[in-house]
Amino acid sequence: MITFRNIKKIYTGGMNTVALDDVTFEIAKGEFVSIVGHSGAGKSTLLKLITAEEKPTSGEIFFNGEDIIKLAPKQLPYHRRRIGTIFQDFKLLPKKTVYENVAFALEVSGCLNKEIEKSVPQILEIVGLSNKIESYPSEISGGEQQRTAIARALVHRPALIIADEPTGNLDPISAWGIIQLLLKINKLGTTVLLATHVKDIVNNIKRRVITLDQGRIIRDHSKGRYAI
Amino acid sequence: MIFLTISRTFKSGLQNFYRNGSLSVAAVSILTLALLIISVIIVLSISANLGLKYIQDKIDIRVYFKSETEESKIMDFRSEVMKYKEVKSADYISKDRALSEFKSNNVGKPEILKAIEAVDENPLLASINIKAKNPEQYDLIAKAVENSAYKENIASVNYQQYKLVIDRFNTTIKTIRKTGVFLFTLFSLIAILITFNVIRMTIYNHGTEIEIMRLVGASNNFVRLPFVFEGIIYGCFAAVIAMLLLFPIVKLITPYIVGSSYVALIQADFGKYFVLIFITQIILGTLLGVVSSLLAIRRYLKT
Repeated sequence: MITFRNIKKIYTGGMNTVALDDVTFEIAKGEFVSIVGHSGAGKSTLLKLITAEEKPTSGEIFFNGEDIIKLAPKQLPYHRRRIGTIFQDFKLLPKKTVYENVAFALEVSGCLNKEIEKSVPQILEIVGLSNKIESYPSEISGGEQQRTAIARALVHRPALIIADEPTGNLDPISAWGIIQLLLKINKLGTTVLLATHVKDIVNNIKRRVITLDQGRIIRDHSKGRYAI
Repeated sequence: MIFLTISRTFKSGLQNFYRNGSLSVAAVSILTLALLIISVIIVLSISANLGLKYIQDKIDIRVYFKSETEESKIMDFRSEVMKYKEVKSADYISKDRALSEFKSNNVGKPEILKAIEAVDENPLLASINIKAKNPEQYDLIAKAVENSAYKENIASVNYQQYKLVIDRFNTTIKTIRKTGVFLFTLFSLIAILITFNVIRMTIYNHGTEIEIMRLVGASNNFVRLPFVFEGIIYGCFAAVIAMLLLFPIVKLITPYIVGSSYVALIQADFGKYFVLIFITQIILGTLLGVVSSLLAIRRYLKT
């Protein structure tokens, strides 16, 4: 589903920072992959390359066989609708309710109101927030906010979910709840890419782990453990 | 799809407008000010032109011929004058025509009519009524007439009384045009700069929202349109407010510019231009708003 071939990313600026250096890997449809590494190891850059927020300095990236480096700016929104993204800081709109936050993702991509009214409650049911649809983000817990963000990521029925440190702001119990939810989503057929540096989580999932260090893949184990 | 996008983005533009109360007020007031200044200039130059045209139509040089002058001589004078390239027209008004015009001008004043009938002979003089192509040329024409070969036959040249008025209008129009172009450019620039900055601030306020929109796959148009609509709303509001303020302001300042005696004359006429000015303002206002929005949003849409 995702193929990275000899990807190199250098941030030019005050000084040239090598974020990714000759990274090559492949992720198949339906996999659950954790990407681990210290801060600055290149995890976020790798994720941004997949959503085409950044372009690599050299190398090739394929998404479902399509060369995403060659996507025209006009096609980028459509590419991004195939991917759901979740962040450490949730990125919810504070002035919209849980329902509106999720519906927003469908509104901006031009879905009919009928579809929105049908999809949003279904998705909120999946993430377990059916009883909070009228609440504002400030009125619910961190774990619930992250569930809202997951619902928003899922509402397009994407092929891939990217979670960038999704548990960074959560207590261990909520964090584990979020991981359980991601595993459930993966079970339903969505590929999940999880970037994290929480050792316990990675060791408990017992799925494939790609370890990055200073922009290079130093380990790629199919039933990996957190080891740096 | 297009309809959905437009209705959704319009709604969110409207929301932006009233949720950012103070910023919207700032943007609308600066746009209003710019429009007001621009349209005051337009109104002044329209009305000065109207006033000038009005006076130009009224003014002419009347050359009166001595009573005994033969008609053929007067006609010679006329064809001579017609040769001047500055002259637009030269009408011959015979004694008889002068009399009948005099009578029709004084209908309802029987004592005057009686008085003129009491005189055996027609007391009025024949004249040539000269109009210039350009009001600045009356001076020249009057001088030429006074120095022409026919000066022996001329009883009087009626021109001097208009000279002051014409001069005044000419200088006024020149000033209005010169300062108008300057102020127009200046205030358009200031308005664009300030609206641009205000809209940039509102867009900055919406930074997270824009980021999220892009995250969930909103097309560039979907991100851009709310701000474009916001700009249009700014422009329309500003145009309406400017229109309400325009006429009192024009009434207040025209006396200082054209001289109080001609105010009534000028103001009577530009009511006709209301719609034209209003449309110009709406177009200018929305254009300023939209251009500023598009400039301000550009950097958010790069990737």
